[in-house]
Amino acid sequence: MPELWELSAEEIAGRVRSREASAAEVLESCLARTAEIEPLIGAYLEIFEEEARARAAGIDRRIAAREDPGPLAGVPVALKDNLSLDGRALTCGSRVLAGYVAPYTATAVERLLAAGAVPFGRANMDEFAMGSSCENSAYQLTRNPWDLARVPGGSSGGPVAAVAAGSVPLALGSETGGSVRQPAALCGVVGVKPTYGRVSRYGLVAFASSLDQIGPIARNVRDAALGLQIIAGEDPRDATSAAEPVGDYLARIEGGIAGLKIGILREIDVARLGGDIEGNWRQSLDRLTALGAELVEVSAPSVEAAIAIYYVIATSEASANLARFDGVRYGRRSPEADDLIDLYFDSRGEGFGAEVKRRIMLGTFALSSGYYEAYYGRARGVLERMRHELDAAFGKADLLATPTTPSAAFRLGEKVDDPLAMYLSDIFTTPANLTGVTATAVPSGADSDGLPLSLQILGPRFGEAGMFRAARAFEREMGWTVAPGFRGALMNLENGA
Amino acid sequence: MALTHEDVRKIATLARLRFTPEEEARLTGQLATIVDYIDQLQGFEGAAPDAAAQGVREAADQPQDCLPRERFLANAPASMDGFLLVPEVKGGGGDA
Repeated sequence: MPELWELSAEEIAGRVRSREASAAEVLESCLARTAEIEPLIGAYLEIFEEEARARAAGIDRRIAAREDPGPLAGVPVALKDNLSLDGRALTCGSRVLAGYVAPYTATAVERLLAAGAVPFGRANMDEFAMGSSCENSAYQLTRNPWDLARVPGGSSGGPVAAVAAGSVPLALGSETGGSVRQPAALCGVVGVKPTYGRVSRYGLVAFASSLDQIGPIARNVRDAALGLQIIAGEDPRDATSAAEPVGDYLARIEGGIAGLKIGILREIDVARLGGDIEGNWRQSLDRLTALGAELVEVSAPSVEAAIAIYYVIATSEASANLARFDGVRYGRRSPEADDLIDLYFDSRGEGFGAEVKRRIMLGTFALSSGYYEAYYGRARGVLERMRHELDAAFGKADLLATPTTPSAAFRLGEKVDDPLAMYLSDIFTTPANLTGVTATAVPSGADSDGLPLSLQILGPRFGEAGMFRAARAFEREMGWTVAPGFRGALMNLENGA
Repeated sequence: MALTHEDVRKIATLARLRFTPEEEARLTGQLATIVDYIDQLQGFEGAAPDAAAQGVREAADQPQDCLPRERFLANAPASMDGFLLVPEVKGGGGDA
């Protein structure tokens, strides 16, 4: 008999709406589970115990009054700490924002609330979303629930670890170069990057405005689709949000993929993948074929430049977006400075971590006079070519598939001194961010160490419904369950093994 | 391209960032490696941006409520009489 914390978001909402369970019971179950695992994984910067209890009580009162709180009634949701929730702290994993309290709520979070969800806590992240391991948080380390000596991935390491460990069934993270999909892959859960513009960025602290998107994280595809359904849609407060109507992602999600064409990029160098990944990748392709899909070869040579392009474009935009952290209006102000210009230098120098500084420097360099054409200009040109190539690929195939990451979860500390090695973790994820298409990471098995592996399915812009259908078909075929039945390495530790 | 300490110092000034000598040394090496990696872009062909720009949707030019001043100033490091308080410009801070 599963515990309430083990249930999917869809099941929880169903039980709360039909009065089989109360929102309060669900919350207490998640709080108890979190209390068990949080000392081991450190996913949260803050848990909203009081506020969550008040909200859950409110949901239960509405149910008692025969009202319907919505499709996420009573579902506890973890929020990456770059998503604004009115009246709550917001740090983006940085010392620069220690003490900052959000004066408004992000649109995506407002929509969760309107659907009856219960914000559970602020989850840890790489500082200002810059990182692939969650090791760049200025506050604490988050550990991979499958192996506590390994990274959960980043930058949405906190929300992903929370979902993977059974703390909450749903979380919101954010993506700029793979920051939902990569940790989802390393922790054996589902992570989605919606089409650029699908979800409002209002209330998401900006890293790279032409790439950023909020994405749902869940233990199964249906929950991820439900999460996106709730938060997606045009928002007058975000001029980059798309007017494209939001479809019904769950309507035909069980429809299967017989007859669908799935494009495999010729440029994926299978030999570059770690041993277990290659075997698992081939198995995934066999599974897709067994489900009735036709694999077709496509080519997009510019994807080999994806990381180089990303580290020019994203860092350039970040250097502009992070200029606002100057100690003037909010955030850390250096107590030493008695001159305005010194204030900027000191506040920023003291507040930002090494990776953030590195990226601001890269971006400033790429945009600086004398280098702008050769770096930023060229990166935009190659990106445009990549866009054309992927558009052409989607002309030949309905969806594309790749491994999500080049390796399973690496050890804590393994890549901190080699920034470039860390950047290469995002080799399969960045093309989707750069070209704006949608992509999902779905668990595809485990390696010989028992660490999760992942398949990435990409859809054309606004092609989320088809992408979810394929991910769901693959998931059903896989039979992978993180919960119920999730135990992983965490259980071994609890049993003293 | 070979990034020098001088380049790094100029960029740091533009970025309003200060580094210790050790940080600067380490950063110069790391940035040089990353920029070398990025230089592979020289070997890729670019394409011109699409002629048709995406339609820009303009909001109606109507005054709306914005964040109340007190809420905004609640996060201010220093404020006085409803204004942000900052040190004066005395001409310090490198080549800024």
